[in-house]
Amino acid sequence: MSRYLHRFFVWSAVALFILPIVWMFSTAFKSPGEIFHAGANLIPQQISLASFQALLNGELPILVANTVFIALSATVVSLCIAFFAAYALVRYRFPAKLDNLFLLAVLVVKMMPPIVVAVPLYSLMNTLGLLNSQLGLVLAYQVYTLPFCIWMLLSFIRDIPLEIEEAAAMDGAHLLKRLAFVVFPLCAPGLVATAIFAMILGWNEFLFSLLFIHTPDKFTIPLFISNFMTEDGTAWGELMAIGIVSSLPMLALAGYMQRYLLRGFSMGLK
Amino acid sequence: MFQRLLVATALASATFCSAATELVIAGRDSSYGQAMQHIVDEYQKAHPSTNIKLVKRPSKGLYESISLSMREKTGNYDVILMDDTWAPEFLSNNWLTALPKEVEDKDFIQAPFDIGRYPNANSAAYAMPMVGNVAMFAWNKAVFDANNIEKPSSWSEVLAAAKKINANSAKDTNGIVFRGVKGNPIVTGFLPILWGYGADVVDANGQASLNTPEAKQALTAFLAMKQYAPRGVDVYNADEVRDSLQKGSAAMAIEVWPAWVPNLDNPEMSNVVGDMEIMAPPAEVGAPAPMLGIWQLAIPADAKNKTEAAAFLKFATSPAIQKTLALDYGIPPTRESIYNDAEVVSKYRWYPQQAKALTTGKARPRIHNWAEVESILGDFLQMTMLGQMSPEQALEQAQRRISRVIKV
Amino acid sequence: MLFENRKQLTALLLPSLTILGLLAVYPIGSVMINAFGSVDYLSKQYQFVGLANFVELFEDFFFIAAMKNTLVFTLVASSAQVLLGLWLALLFNQKFSGRRFALPIIIYPMMISTLVCSSIWRSWYNYDFGLLNSALVAIGLPAQEWLFNPDLALYAIALVDTWQWTPMAFLIILAGLQSIPKDIGEAAMVDGAKGWRAFAFITLPLIQKQLMLAFLLRSIDAFKLFDKVYVMTGGGPGNATETLSMFVYKYGFRFFNLGMASAAALVMLAISLLMTLFYAHRVMKGGKQ
Repeated sequence: MSRYLHRFFVWSAVALFILPIVWMFSTAFKSPGEIFHAGANLIPQQISLASFQALLNGELPILVANTVFIALSATVVSLCIAFFAAYALVRYRFPAKLDNLFLLAVLVVKMMPPIVVAVPLYSLMNTLGLLNSQLGLVLAYQVYTLPFCIWMLLSFIRDIPLEIEEAAAMDGAHLLKRLAFVVFPLCAPGLVATAIFAMILGWNEFLFSLLFIHTPDKFTIPLFISNFMTEDGTAWGELMAIGIVSSLPMLALAGYMQRYLLRGFSMGLK
Repeated sequence: MFQRLLVATALASATFCSAATELVIAGRDSSYGQAMQHIVDEYQKAHPSTNIKLVKRPSKGLYESISLSMREKTGNYDVILMDDTWAPEFLSNNWLTALPKEVEDKDFIQAPFDIGRYPNANSAAYAMPMVGNVAMFAWNKAVFDANNIEKPSSWSEVLAAAKKINANSAKDTNGIVFRGVKGNPIVTGFLPILWGYGADVVDANGQASLNTPEAKQALTAFLAMKQYAPRGVDVYNADEVRDSLQKGSAAMAIEVWPAWVPNLDNPEMSNVVGDMEIMAPPAEVGAPAPMLGIWQLAIPADAKNKTEAAAFLKFATSPAIQKTLALDYGIPPTRESIYNDAEVVSKYRWYPQQAKALTTGKARPRIHNWAEVESILGDFLQMTMLGQMSPEQALEQAQRRISRVIKV
Repeated sequence: MLFENRKQLTALLLPSLTILGLLAVYPIGSVMINAFGSVDYLSKQYQFVGLANFVELFEDFFFIAAMKNTLVFTLVASSAQVLLGLWLALLFNQKFSGRRFALPIIIYPMMISTLVCSSIWRSWYNYDFGLLNSALVAIGLPAQEWLFNPDLALYAIALVDTWQWTPMAFLIILAGLQSIPKDIGEAAMVDGAKGWRAFAFITLPLIQKQLMLAFLLRSIDAFKLFDKVYVMTGGGPGNATETLSMFVYKYGFRFFNLGMASAAALVMLAISLLMTLFYAHRVMKGGKQ
């Protein structure tokens, strides 16, 4: 593919993906009157901050802090645990094909619609005394994030040539050392991609957060977002404004992490 | 940083728990939430020692979260805000607390207050009406005058008017608009017509009654209206209906709720300032029966602080509070005296009509599983609206399925 | 060589087993049991009814329609996402100026809350005032009935899902491409493999696992489609966009009929297992040379 054709494709793809986002930004910066009269326009005639002002009511910082805390904790927990599990599944011999059984069970958890799991999980959380606690929510999110992380990491760990590890083992590196200094860096792109997805899952989760949390000091952002879509109508400006505010932290994180994703490894296989 | 956050949360929850009496209120978000916040602030001034927590729930999740909480008897909430269609289920499950006689008051408009009584209209009240929502009918007087049509008083006249407006105007004004999207909206869009023809989903004995000639007439009229409605009315929800009215692209709306109305006279948001008239829906036979959509306050049976909760209910529905709520937050009152208040009426010119509609208002069927029945009816209404079934088939199948699941 | 140390194996797996055992066994077990019973929501009393729930499900043409829609949606949306994602990943696997800005833009859609995404597109799809129809009319094409044409609505929703989630397939595949040792690529170039041949015989086999994984994960998620339908069409028009998740939600949360909801969930599970087992198998095996 010629260089120019390549650039053309790249930037037209970017243009297609960005259009709805441009509309989101422009709607957030329109006045209510302009949304009503010319809601479909891509560019606002006049910049208005009215929609953002409507968001500024003391609650937002708490919501952001809660969501960051919960999404990050859920991600870290899942990633660590899944990393060990995926490594074991790739590198160890299981008796009686138990590894496939385990993976299948994990898949089943991932496939269950959250709605049916929610009611029994509520009873369970109530019994454990974990309702309305952030720990409870971090745990509940494992139902989504853990199976996901295990499956993701499995493929990436598998790509690491066994020879490298064997060489390290010959040099006397024990398990933890091998994990930390050989396996971990080698599957960094996969880990980064997995972490981003897990964060997004936790960041945008609505159902469990709605059911398991019942005091405002522990609310998360998705609950707040649905405030702007009621049965009496949609507050377009505010909805788009909170759409921007709630996605920017994730974007910044992903932008920062992309360098690990794009490093491109040379693993010295000659 | 996380440790600090953890400590902060721990401290926060500790301070919440240490107070003497605590009142946890499950309410709604957006304008209802702001209104409730006002009540809470006022109540707090009068009762400084009470620790009040207001939980603002999104309207999409209030039902799920309070019903699950009451089912598991968690005791999470002392006061709940609820839609009147949930009441039969909550009451027959014994999830609510009977209210003391003192909360009753002759000033409340009777129909909205009585739907909080259980098991019948003479029994004790379990819920107090906070928001006096009632479905109204909207028509554009300017368009009617331009077409030489009189105010419609029956659904046939509505249909005739819609036809004439569609024929006379350029294609950008449609005769009528309604909510056609599947689920609850299409059913509430259809009920005023069904009732107007003297039919109902459920008869007085709690049996499904959609297989009547009246129901068929009503459905035929409803389907006929689609041809004078904007294209895509099948997926219209509140947003689109309000937009069509405000933009002037529809001359009538079968069903409008008080919260949709205020912007009709706001020049920045409306092309039809002063043109729209709001009234009780027309009837085909007998007197009109406007649909009630009351939001009630109640006390769960598992509440921990029932005494104070009852005091809060009384306070929240008091005349002074209702007046402020109407004036500052656009929350429709449930008291006669507020609807007659000159200051309130001067702000909302359609309030006398609304009070009348409330007085003759009718609640949706008081059956245990209305949500299920409503969903079945909605499914079949959509099928016939799309032409995938004849009206007779749709009604007959809906009747059969509803009869099977209905729980009185 | 595979490691044989059982103690290490147990230690590595124990945390996952504990958490999943604690959180998933009870809920999933109760779904499996409830599917064969009628459960009184209030007293939680359980009565075994055999296959009655399933019989009722398969006699319900709304359920059949939901099943059909969900399958079509899953196949269309997940293949579109993987193909588009692969194409984008190949484009982004080369260095070009501005890549650091372009990448976050491409993956931005999946960071935005689904409610907001669906609302943006609902507005774009509006027949009279929407941006899409304005654009179509401006270039002389007929306006489309995006959300209320029963033959189009499901695909309109699939387009939204593709916009939102292609980034995920893209990132998985890109991470796969980035993990290919440079040496292999260079070796291939020396051998004279170029263009499509290099892609088909060298690159594609190397990222096969990531492709399968992207397909697996996207189809599982697409199969659970709920929010977008809820916001955009409510399942209509008719039953053109009714999905299995909507069905489960209605029975589980609006009607509190746990038996029917669980039975429907089990059917969902069976279908998605059948659908993905092939890919799952491909991802599972292979690694242990």
